[in-house]
Amino acid sequence: MTEQLVQQLLNWITLGSIYALVAVGFSLLFGVLNIIHFSHGDVSLLAPFLALAAVQTVSASLGGSPTVAAIVLAVLLAVIVTGLLGVVLYYLVIKRFQNAPAMMALVATVALGIVLRELIRHLYPQGSNPHAVPRLVPGSIEVLGVTIPAFNLVAILVSVLSVGLLFYMLERTRLGLHIKAVSQDRDAARLISISPARVFQITFFIASAIGAIGGLFFAGYAGIVRFDFSVDIGLIGFSAAVVGGLGSMPGAIIGSLLIAGLDTLVQATVPNGASYRQVFVFLLVICVLVFRPAGLLGRTIVEKV
Amino acid sequence: MSVTATRGTSGAAAALSIVALTEIGSAAFLRQFLLAEDWRVVVGLLGFFAMVLVGLQRMPTVEARIESSFSAQSRFATLLGIAIVLLFPFLLEKSTYALHLLIIAQLYAVLALALNFQLGSANIPNFATGASYGIGAYASALLALNWDVSFWLALPAAAVVATIFGFVLGVPSMRTRDSYLALVTIAFGVVVHQLLNNLEFTGGPNGLVGIPAPELFGHSFASPLVIFGHSLPSQANFYYLSAALVGVSILFAARLHHSRIGLAWNALRADELAARCQGINATWYKVLAFVVDAFLAGFAGTIYAFYVGFISPDNFTFLVSVTIMTMVIAGGMDNTLGVIVGAFLLTMLPEKLRAFSDYRILFFGVTVIAFLMIRPQGIFPQRLRRYGG
Repeated sequence: MTEQLVQQLLNWITLGSIYALVAVGFSLLFGVLNIIHFSHGDVSLLAPFLALAAVQTVSASLGGSPTVAAIVLAVLLAVIVTGLLGVVLYYLVIKRFQNAPAMMALVATVALGIVLRELIRHLYPQGSNPHAVPRLVPGSIEVLGVTIPAFNLVAILVSVLSVGLLFYMLERTRLGLHIKAVSQDRDAARLISISPARVFQITFFIASAIGAIGGLFFAGYAGIVRFDFSVDIGLIGFSAAVVGGLGSMPGAIIGSLLIAGLDTLVQATVPNGASYRQVFVFLLVICVLVFRPAGLLGRTIVEKV
Repeated sequence: MSVTATRGTSGAAAALSIVALTEIGSAAFLRQFLLAEDWRVVVGLLGFFAMVLVGLQRMPTVEARIESSFSAQSRFATLLGIAIVLLFPFLLEKSTYALHLLIIAQLYAVLALALNFQLGSANIPNFATGASYGIGAYASALLALNWDVSFWLALPAAAVVATIFGFVLGVPSMRTRDSYLALVTIAFGVVVHQLLNNLEFTGGPNGLVGIPAPELFGHSFASPLVIFGHSLPSQANFYYLSAALVGVSILFAARLHHSRIGLAWNALRADELAARCQGINATWYKVLAFVVDAFLAGFAGTIYAFYVGFISPDNFTFLVSVTIMTMVIAGGMDNTLGVIVGAFLLTMLPEKLRAFSDYRILFFGVTVIAFLMIRPQGIFPQRLRRYGG
């Protein structure tokens, strides 16, 4: 009984930290650019495909199974390349909708997500099929008679570290100050010689790279990855960010934990819950928004007079 | 004959010929586009369409002339339009595929017009039109399969069911706005889709099969339509049915646009706070927009279900809602003609590019982004309201 409880708690926190990695990106981008980057989930899901491709290329050229060093290198490469891709997409598409009505940007990024998904499907060998993802970290640890997969621990640890690093950067560094300045007032920031264009670029890199880590763990947690998983991860990440309050980093984390908690609870207790989980999750989203229309930690929208 | 009188009659004649030329030209273009099989011809026709649009943009006087001709001869324009719609199936060389495309395009035109009440008139994002469409389709199909309800009774019943769901969605939506509102509607759409996919009585992922074809005065819609000894494929039945629905929707849209409701929606779009200060009950008008959207979508869903005879949850995904939204935005918000053109274009485009079959969806995404970049105001931009005269 206790063992089961601990297992479920562990699943909850693991899932929550994976969702948080994606949700934080939505919130960061909204806070700085005032844009809902709806293809963020798709950008994040590029990472596992990139990593898989890199590992396969390396093991094909060396022969035999890939070494740990090769895997770590492939993962790092995937994260950085995804981050850079985020910047490229910003310049190619999103930049043009920055001053357009919010709905335009929303539809444009949804379409961008479709394009990314289809590109994976066509460019990746056998892209329409699910691909097995090896557990990044095999093995398990036994604590007080409870078996804990090492993967979960690593996922939680890396998530906490990345988000912690992000917080540190936002709160304590010069760059974070610049990001905050631009998010508060673009023109005033420009007056004190902060380049908003550079800040947007950096924000996009950071958000996409952190999302990439989330995408990698998401794929590792599921054990497989498919081109259309991004819909799932994107919608849940967006929901978590909105439930917490768009633009609020702590809100994104609380939202992720809330959604992951319900997700785990439904899967563990409701019969046939796995196929209904989204129903419960999105009903929660609707309920939260009805009672707190700007999210749990969101700033209430000030009406102009 | 005095000089002014001559000018008057010749002006009227010019207007008549401009209207006739525009309408017949558009119909001929649509026919060529529908019947074109070679993808090079399709691309060429699309290029021609783009050139006309650019030309109109470059020469606003021509655009204004056409528009004033239409408003001067609106009765003739309507009658000619109806005649063209009635005669159109005879010009398609009995191509069932072309008729099928037209039916689907017309149903999407209704859906886009429905969404236009929200997105276009009142600037309320709604990603749940696809769900209302699905609710209408499932409600009517379940009535027909389980209780042998005829199509003509299922049609209003399904619309009522969809409307109730629209109301249920609209009420909580009123607490939120912008991106938060968008998420509430997305969530509603996802919940509906997952329920359709998992519940027993909806047939799960397999959907519902064997929905009977409607009958009218003993004539089954599954049999060919014979008019004056001229036989048309059975699809023609549904073509006329959906054309009638489009007509009703246009009338509905026009009446609403010119009523106080349309005015109130536009006021909400311009500035909600100012609208409230004018005594406009914002909550009521917003819920009304949701309800009207769901009502029309329910109609379209019923016709779809009875037309194809088979529905599954995959017909009503989030992607469907996005497509409908794109039709409104790409066609031109709050512009009835624009929305219909957007619906026709975006329904037919992927179908006509079967040559790139695998890359259809990719191409669709790229086109949408390109459209939003090149002509952000839509194919036919929103018009200023006209008062008086």
